[in-house]
Amino acid sequence: MNTNIDFKQIWNKQEATVPEIKELLKKATIYKRKSLIKLLLLNTTMILTSVFIGLIWYYFQPELVSTKLGIVLVILAMMIQLATSNRMLPNLFKSNAETTSKQYLQQLIELQKKQLFQQTTVMSIYFILLSIGLALYMYEYTLRMTLTWALVAYGITTLWIAINWFYFRPKAIKKQNKKMNILLDKFKEMTTQLSED
Amino acid sequence: MEFEQIYATYWQKVYRISLGYVNSPDLAKDLAQETFITIWKQLPNFRNESTIGTWIFRIASNTCLRQIQKDKRMPTSELPLELKEENTETTMESDLEFLYQCISELPEMERIIISLELEDINQKEISKIVGISEGNVRVKIHRIKEKLTQKFKNNEH
Repeated sequence: MNTNIDFKQIWNKQEATVPEIKELLKKATIYKRKSLIKLLLLNTTMILTSVFIGLIWYYFQPELVSTKLGIVLVILAMMIQLATSNRMLPNLFKSNAETTSKQYLQQLIELQKKQLFQQTTVMSIYFILLSIGLALYMYEYTLRMTLTWALVAYGITTLWIAINWFYFRPKAIKKQNKKMNILLDKFKEMTTQLSED
Repeated sequence: MEFEQIYATYWQKVYRISLGYVNSPDLAKDLAQETFITIWKQLPNFRNESTIGTWIFRIASNTCLRQIQKDKRMPTSELPLELKEENTETTMESDLEFLYQCISELPEMERIIISLELEDINQKEISKIVGISEGNVRVKIHRIKEKLTQKFKNNEH
């Protein structure tokens, strides 16, 4: 078989005009600003949520410790959800593009696994905390209601949480995991492409 | 090395490697751009643990590898034909176009390795970029070239 085709010579025919560096730097600056805005927005949301719940605490003066505990749990749930969904846990989602491809693929695989974990576990923790928090929070106020209304209030809340837990949560997890698993398999396959023959 | 200097020296190489990986000028331009944004961000942390070239090509290769994460719903090979053609604004010479097409049919890592090789990066450096032994690089390049030659042969008639 003739193996003398000069691929390099063909390859070198591809010429490309180098785009203006200004264009790139502009994009880089926008990117930097965007991630800053995102960070600010996330923090503001968290602070506002906390302030809002703090105000409830202040104005309605809960007497029972269960109400206070409920408020804390709800805040905690929201914080965890916000923080992880925005990939704000600093070291959890970091990947280092300056390593070899082999190591990089390994990182990507680890990252996918962590994301899988985040999506299933954190979402469940979020729901559990939120449900317990809400139930505790409501307790003090339902005490002031008649039994019937208290049951209605708890009934509706429980129903809503149940719909979320048994319908929306598994659906969301399944959808996310499907995408994740496709990527995970792909990265694993790329790693095997690097093995010695 | 200043960023401007790196940009001027390496842009074409990075672009061509990306083009070898995705076989779409537009996507390759995006990937090259993304690579240089990473370089721009990370340059202050560059500590001469490897040569600047190795460092740059690692970032370029890894940017390509990660691309599937964003593009997962539409891998280039599955783009509708008319879209594919629309992307190629510049007309390539047919053998060049065919070379890119053949490369795009290879598995991902082979695409990276052959693009680096054709970009005249020596095998020792490729082994440092990709993270496999030099011997393994040599064997792989040999096999890939055989595959490409075969495709060119079959195309001749």
